Amino acid sequence: MITEEELDNLIICKKCHTLHKRVPLSENKKAFCSKCDILLYQNSTNTLDRTLALVIAAAISLFITFKFTIITINIQGLEQSLTLYALFMVILEQQQYIVGMMFIFLIVIFPITIISSMLILLTLMKFKKGKYLTQRLLILLAHVRPWSMVDIFFISLLVAMVKLFDYAYIELGVSFIALIFTLILDIIITKNISFYELWDLHRKIYGKIDE
Amino acid sequence: MNRKLDYVRCHICEAVNYVDDTNRKCRRCHESITHDLRLSYHKTLAFLITAIIFYIPANIYPILISKQFGKTSSNTIIGGVIHLWDAGSYPIALIILLASVFVPLLKFILIIYLLISAKYNLHSSKLDKHKLFYITEVIGPWSMVDVFVVIILSVLVHFSGVQIYPGEGATAFGLMVFFTMLSALSFDPRLINHQKGDSSNANS
Ligand SMILES: [Zn+2]
Ligand SMILES: [Zn+2]
Repeated sequence: MITEEELDNLIICKKCHTLHKRVPLSENKKAFCSKCDILLYQNSTNTLDRTLALVIAAAISLFITFKFTIITINIQGLEQSLTLYALFMVILEQQQYIVGMMFIFLIVIFPITIISSMLILLTLMKFKKGKYLTQRLLILLAHVRPWSMVDIFFISLLVAMVKLFDYAYIELGVSFIALIFTLILDIIITKNISFYELWDLHRKIYGKIDE
Repeated sequence: MNRKLDYVRCHICEAVNYVDDTNRKCRRCHESITHDLRLSYHKTLAFLITAIIFYIPANIYPILISKQFGKTSSNTIIGGVIHLWDAGSYPIALIILLASVFVPLLKFILIIYLLISAKYNLHSSKLDKHKLFYITEVIGPWSMVDVFVVIILSVLVHFSGVQIYPGEGATAFGLMVFFTMLSALSFDPRLINHQKGDSSNANS
């Protein structure tokens, strides 16, 4: 029978499902899959503090993204802005409930859920409190993560702007810049911390989870 | 009944577990990891069929309807791509064509291929199948681009004289992407691993 410690030293690549043995890495070194070169794990110091700082920044920029105007178009003196409020109003008015709900969940609710869960999770882990809550948050994050589509929203926004370019004068709002920041921060956060390591850290801080 | 032990990656906490095929909970996060493979197979198939059904209205019905001073015109996905191509926006036309037409089709074909090879033990590289599955999972959500574009346009082009609405095609398309994602999420990677010699797991 294989012991827990031996299993803890194994990792399966998320892309090709090849089984790897973890070897101790020196500081700031990374380990890649031997078959498909994807990042497996890394050894970085202060992961918790650094990621928490990034998540706080991401929370602020996400808040700004949804609070203010993303872009404004001007067609022969008539203006219309893309804001969260305008989005709700148009969905209600046009009665596009299915597409509207999908959009709001994928672009607004899930990203907010992810960032606020990360914020609570990392803060609690930093102060070594809330064993059960942190465990539930980690599980929630695993379920919600595939459903956040802010990056796809940004590309869609660029496509929409190209389509409008010939007819309208386009003005970028504060939230457009905030959206770019949110995306960059999201990429850095994903690069910084893996859920494999967060669970590892969880066990180191709180001990084993009871049945 | 198959009792072969295998290394399984928990889909929640990513821990490696060494378990047999009975219902097991992950040793680290206590979420269940080894569901019935047959259930995973049928869920994947059911969601996939639903997605394919939605793919038809998604392409037939207009995704975008525009009203200009009482005059209504509508565009299907393909119509929109042709429109963009004619207008000279080649990169955008290609993005929409790839994201809205090819990515969903690719995903359908790949999931069907994976299901067939799980059921009939096709001899093919497990490594390649895992990689292909991973790639389609990553590119899958990008199919939403066209639906998002239509919603953004409907919010912005909202004047008394000129208006843009999402058409029925947009709803069908959104649901199609939703069910394709559910299908991929229901697919247990062990269906790829268990193909040789233990067909009892995947056969219905
Ligand atoms: Zn790999
Ligand atoms: Zn687990």
